[in-house]
Amino acid sequence: MDRTAAKARPADEASPLRYDNAQGPVSIPGLARRLIASIPYVIVAVAVFVAIAGPTLSGVDPFEQDLLNRNQGPSDTYLLGTDHLGRDVLARLIVGTRLSLEAGLGGVLVALLLGGLLGFAASAAGGPAETVFYAFVDLIRAMPGVLLALLLVVALGAGLGPVTIALGVTFAPIFAHVARATYHRELAMDYVTAAESFGAGRWRILFTHILPNVSGAFVTQATIVLPRCIVTESVLSFLGLGVEPDTPTWGRMIAQAAQYIERNPVAVLAPVIALSLLTISLALLGDRLRLRLDPRRLVDEGARP
Amino acid sequence: MTSRFLMIAASALRALLLVLGITVLIFVLVRVVPGDVVDLLGIEGGLTEEAKQQMRQELGLDRSQAEQLLIWLGRVAQGELGLSIRFQRPVADLIVRALPTTLTLAFWSFVIGLTLAIGVAVAAVIWPRSPLPALVNAINVWSIAMPTFCAGILAILVFVLWLDWMPLLGNMVLPCVIIGIDVAGQIVKPLHEDLKETATAQFVRTAHAKGLGRAAIVWRHILPNSLSVVIALSGLVLTGLVGGTITMEVLFGLPGIGKLALDSVLGRDYPTIQAVAVLLAASVVAINAVTGIVARLLDPKLRT
Repeated sequence: MDRTAAKARPADEASPLRYDNAQGPVSIPGLARRLIASIPYVIVAVAVFVAIAGPTLSGVDPFEQDLLNRNQGPSDTYLLGTDHLGRDVLARLIVGTRLSLEAGLGGVLVALLLGGLLGFAASAAGGPAETVFYAFVDLIRAMPGVLLALLLVVALGAGLGPVTIALGVTFAPIFAHVARATYHRELAMDYVTAAESFGAGRWRILFTHILPNVSGAFVTQATIVLPRCIVTESVLSFLGLGVEPDTPTWGRMIAQAAQYIERNPVAVLAPVIALSLLTISLALLGDRLRLRLDPRRLVDEGARP
Repeated sequence: MTSRFLMIAASALRALLLVLGITVLIFVLVRVVPGDVVDLLGIEGGLTEEAKQQMRQELGLDRSQAEQLLIWLGRVAQGELGLSIRFQRPVADLIVRALPTTLTLAFWSFVIGLTLAIGVAVAAVIWPRSPLPALVNAINVWSIAMPTFCAGILAILVFVLWLDWMPLLGNMVLPCVIIGIDVAGQIVKPLHEDLKETATAQFVRTAHAKGLGRAAIVWRHILPNSLSVVIALSGLVLTGLVGGTITMEVLFGLPGIGKLALDSVLGRDYPTIQAVAVLLAASVVAINAVTGIVARLLDPKLRT
């Protein structure tokens, strides 16, 4: 997330007021610090594993209704209890993990293709193509995020596919601006001039020379967009848009269980906690990846010009 | 002076063009939807095929898309937003009725968020050895980890159901505080970073050397330097608040613009969706234009 963007700047020793707080108020010993630092990795690994293998391993049908045991709290049969139709909350949570990651990764991929690739193509083509493409990007950027996704989901219909496309279009402008900024920055570099002097064409330079050099910027931007994509998907399904009513996405689970929150808070808390843990873990991992890949803070260029 | 005027005029023109483009885009998006309001009403009211055709004719839905677009643009230009098909009331009425709720919500959320962010960030720079810098991170992490609708549900569970401190429906305090904390989370960290950076400047050393206290240095010398950052972040946050109140309105039963947008989208109420969508998009464009202009007027580096 761009809001966690830490400015990697050396602390100025000369500052008389010592405002740098590299050393926090509480000092945590090395091993404990490492253990704490590994938590996000563990959570993301667990989420990925659950998304891939969970539905098969659990062996519980997330749609099976046990009407005699509705809105039950956790028990031996139902580890996280049942929802208002007597469906196993844990089984639904597991399927929801897969759907969340699918929608998130799919949305990022679509945004990369629509914003990044088309952005590069438009920038390389230059002239009116670039002007028109970026005018359109500006239009989409000026739309309030949720509203755009809302309209797109309604226009494209229900289902995971349309939701993914809607998410992709919503987040595409971020990648489009990175594409334009990095393309024009790289164009002025010596290696591009060298390639030009060897007679390489515009497109050859773009694909074989520039693209590999700027892929890092896109990877880090993708790690920023991924958690936002996942949250937006859950907001959409929470509002009753997006996937079919029956699909156990986290947002839909939250919306449905919220009506019975007094009798069975666990059915609401489970997806809320899952969503929040996954989001923060992905954001923290993205932060670390960004510091590692791009110590010069070039990443945010173009994201919010 | 003339260059300033030109800059403002150019911004305004750009904003106007953007709004026009968005209007067309929204029109296209809304009309792509398969099935129209007449179909929906037909299913509910059991209308015959002839009755449906007649209704479409009355609503102008039988004309070509391009014609409908031109007619609608012409009406909007005259300040006429049309009639809501669903509620059988002028769209302008519905918007005027919903606007105060959303504006109140957005205003107080923004005030709470900005106050909290500036307060914590400034205090964290004045007392860097206290737990306050950790609080900066905590607020930031909270706003990433807790989407407002999740925070809303937790708040309902704790403050409404368990503690029984306040009612659920029509509650304005919880939504404002929840969105406020979210807003603070977006502002506090970049602001804190910027304040820390300014703290290393030479004029801060000068102020220190002449015997000024820490708090006075931060308030009088460092914070004013970060004004442009505060304005830029405020613009970002305000655009996020447009439409960002929708989940809170749904959760707490507040009849605001977000709820109106959602209801009209779900009910295929074209005139209302279009009007609300254009209103929201226009607010975003306006906020961006105004913050851009203010930032340029204030910052000598951006002045051209």
